[in-house]
Amino acid sequence: MAPAERFAYAVARLRAMSGRLLEESLIQRILDCEDLDSALKILAETAYSAWLVELKGSGDFDRIIEAELSNAYTEVQKFVPDERLVQLCRIPYDFHNVKVLVKSAILVREGGERRYDLLTSLGNIPVEELVVAVESEDYRLLPFGLHRLLPLCLSQWEQTRDILQVENSLDAGLFSVLAEIAVATGFDSAVRWVKGRIDAENIRNLLRLKRLDLDIAGAASFLHEGGWIAGEKLLALLNEPVESWPRVLSFSDVSGVFANVPDLSDLGALIVEMERALDEYVSAILARAKYEAFTPENVIAYLWAKEMEAKNLRIALVAVANNTDRTIARGLLRHGR
Amino acid sequence: MELLGVMLAILGAAMAAGWAGAGSAIGVGIAGESGAGVMTEDPGKFGLVLLLQALPGTQGIYGLLIAFFAILKVGLLGGEPIAVTAYQGLGIFFACLPIAIGGYFSAIAQGKTSAASIQMIAKRPEETGKAVILPAMVETYAVLSLLMSIILLNGIKL
Repeated sequence: MAPAERFAYAVARLRAMSGRLLEESLIQRILDCEDLDSALKILAETAYSAWLVELKGSGDFDRIIEAELSNAYTEVQKFVPDERLVQLCRIPYDFHNVKVLVKSAILVREGGERRYDLLTSLGNIPVEELVVAVESEDYRLLPFGLHRLLPLCLSQWEQTRDILQVENSLDAGLFSVLAEIAVATGFDSAVRWVKGRIDAENIRNLLRLKRLDLDIAGAASFLHEGGWIAGEKLLALLNEPVESWPRVLSFSDVSGVFANVPDLSDLGALIVEMERALDEYVSAILARAKYEAFTPENVIAYLWAKEMEAKNLRIALVAVANNTDRTIARGLLRHGR
Repeated sequence: MELLGVMLAILGAAMAAGWAGAGSAIGVGIAGESGAGVMTEDPGKFGLVLLLQALPGTQGIYGLLIAFFAILKVGLLGGEPIAVTAYQGLGIFFACLPIAIGGYFSAIAQGKTSAASIQMIAKRPEETGKAVILPAMVETYAVLSLLMSIILLNGIKL
């Protein structure tokens, strides 16, 4: 059977599962709630109801978001013909966990406390295994190049005492592994998605570096290779005012992202707005999946849509819990299912 | 020479039933995989899924029909065997080709369309009518192949 038809079952099941993704109107209803209890009552009408019983207190909503996302990953991993597609989406969580563990190890050495509460179960590597590997300093069995990267990061910390550099090395490792796995799958859509994610991350980093007023030499190490846009072209942006970035990047698809942001002059507000716009840019890369009945990109598209749902839900619940301005929260919601 | 004529007619019949049947098997299989995917999440859609999965199965029936016509024509199904020249046998063989080729490819295409339609009703159950029409359009070409095979078989005088 042709490779594409291997996905007939998986795509059909994902289509049925995508019917249970939260509608935008439901998120808006949550945002309209006056308190967290009413918001959770609305959530009880959805697929999240299964996790609500595990809720220890109404402020513990992050746990149910994580449980639902984790369940989606586990379910999809069971029936998808190529598990690497799910791995691709979960790897960022593995690297997040590694960051938490490295920082905790550093904190402990400095006399602080471990922050294992920040670990997530969404990664490919079971949290317990990762913790044991770091605590026993036995990294040999860690996948995704972490057996080399983890000791490297710890020795980098010993030498430089610069946590930003350590984080940077881990991010570089993450994107290199993502690109490697995407190529190994042999699916163009996976490669395009990873390249888009790298570009989005580079633009995000550039905006932060611009705010820090860092020079090109200092900024170079914060950009990741493997995207559509070459590193030198991105670095050249630092010498330009942000208003002219869309013009300089007009050769690439990512330039369209700036059109979705109302004000380019206020850098602080722009960084927040771009978080949303860049996520929507990555969603747009996968948008054509809905017109294809058998393509593997439907797997990534569903999992990415689930990620966006989790982000939107977190934004809405945090806004309700803290009683912040709902207009700001609405502006942060990711669109495009 | 007479034996060669009968053999060619049998080859045509075998191709009509075999290729059209193989196409149907592939088509029904593709649609079935999609159907199973949808029903895992929503078992209530069984009726619709079954209808859409069955659509690519018709080509196999058409192929079998033409195969019967072909072997009936040369008297292999009861009655007296008919003397068939090599040219007549070749004619029967060619007459079987439209449904063999048309049936094989249209069944696979219909299977894919049915699978896509099954995905469509998974997401938009209210569009069921449209979901049935789309794969039914592919059936047109299987029917045209069947008609051509029947017309050609009838045109061969033994």
